[in-house]
Amino acid sequence: MTVYSFYIFDRHAECIYKRRWLPRPTSVAGKPQTQGGPTGLGQTVRASDDDAKLVFGTVFSLRNMVRKLGGDDDNFISYTTNQYKLHYYETPTNIKFVMLTDLKSPSMRIALQQIYINLFVEYVVKNPLSPVEHPGGVGVNNELFEESLEQFVTRVLA
Amino acid sequence: MSATKASRIGEEIWKTRIDKVNAELVTLTYGTIVAQLCQDYDSNYQDVNKQLDKMGYNIGMRLIEDFLAKSGVGRCANFRETADMIAKVGFKIFLNVAPTVTNWSSDNNQFSLIFDENPLADFVELPDDGRAQDELWFSNILCGVLRGSLEMVQMQIEAHFVSDVLRGDDTTEMRVSLVRYIEDEMPPEEE
Repeated sequence: MTVYSFYIFDRHAECIYKRRWLPRPTSVAGKPQTQGGPTGLGQTVRASDDDAKLVFGTVFSLRNMVRKLGGDDDNFISYTTNQYKLHYYETPTNIKFVMLTDLKSPSMRIALQQIYINLFVEYVVKNPLSPVEHPGGVGVNNELFEESLEQFVTRVLA
Repeated sequence: MSATKASRIGEEIWKTRIDKVNAELVTLTYGTIVAQLCQDYDSNYQDVNKQLDKMGYNIGMRLIEDFLAKSGVGRCANFRETADMIAKVGFKIFLNVAPTVTNWSSDNNQFSLIFDENPLADFVELPDDGRAQDELWFSNILCGVLRGSLEMVQMQIEAHFVSDVLRGDDTTEMRVSLVRYIEDEMPPEEE
């Protein structure tokens, strides 16, 4: 399976971390790439901010709709399109973890929870140099977190 | 979730998933912090209380994530569940004590935590200046911790001590009141 991208949103609805591993399939981009930075060697790509906003809008609405229909405890787990699968995990502190993968991927709910418990809490929350809030991604973009995320995605999930 | 189930969860996590440190190390470190604050604020105990609460608040905002990561519990259905979760799981896994939840107000929005034991206050004697006994809440950091951590799970609360054995009272009691549930924040409007 392939992981396309990964986002973290904080309780203020801000995207505090995003990462893309593969360029978008050309059929989705449709037109020649006019925006979005260069896609160097699977490194973090500075794509336009719009992706994150769209993703947030989608999961936020979907989650609220699911709760209206299924009760306050209900949560959506993933959705699938013809092109990709979106996995979602939200902590009680309203931090939202989103991962986009290809269609063959099994449920990533546990994986996202593991990222929260073993990477985010350990390397971001418990990092004394990282602030409590992460406006603009401050504190989340530290080396330990990014490297272990990279390892987790390439080794554990591959 | 019942109180007994919460106790079981707390016990289980404490046994299996918690790195322990020497209790005296915690007691003495905390005592030193309070003593230093009393010195820094020239024995203005109101300010010391305030500062302890603020320190606790900052601790709580991070501690809640560790709590959730370790316990894996979900959202509480009501404030009564929250109280049990704090007393039987939260205090249990971080301080190895389980205060009693009691004195509920009729609207279920206020309760008291009675601490039979308080590791922060072992070996402690309040300053003998005739004021500390009436003004200093030695363990006030705990109020801040609760306020900070509950704010992160969308509950605005107010917490304060109403009695403390260090002051010569019969019990150590903290009063916790729910102010409101905090609404989800919406993304800012596009301009």
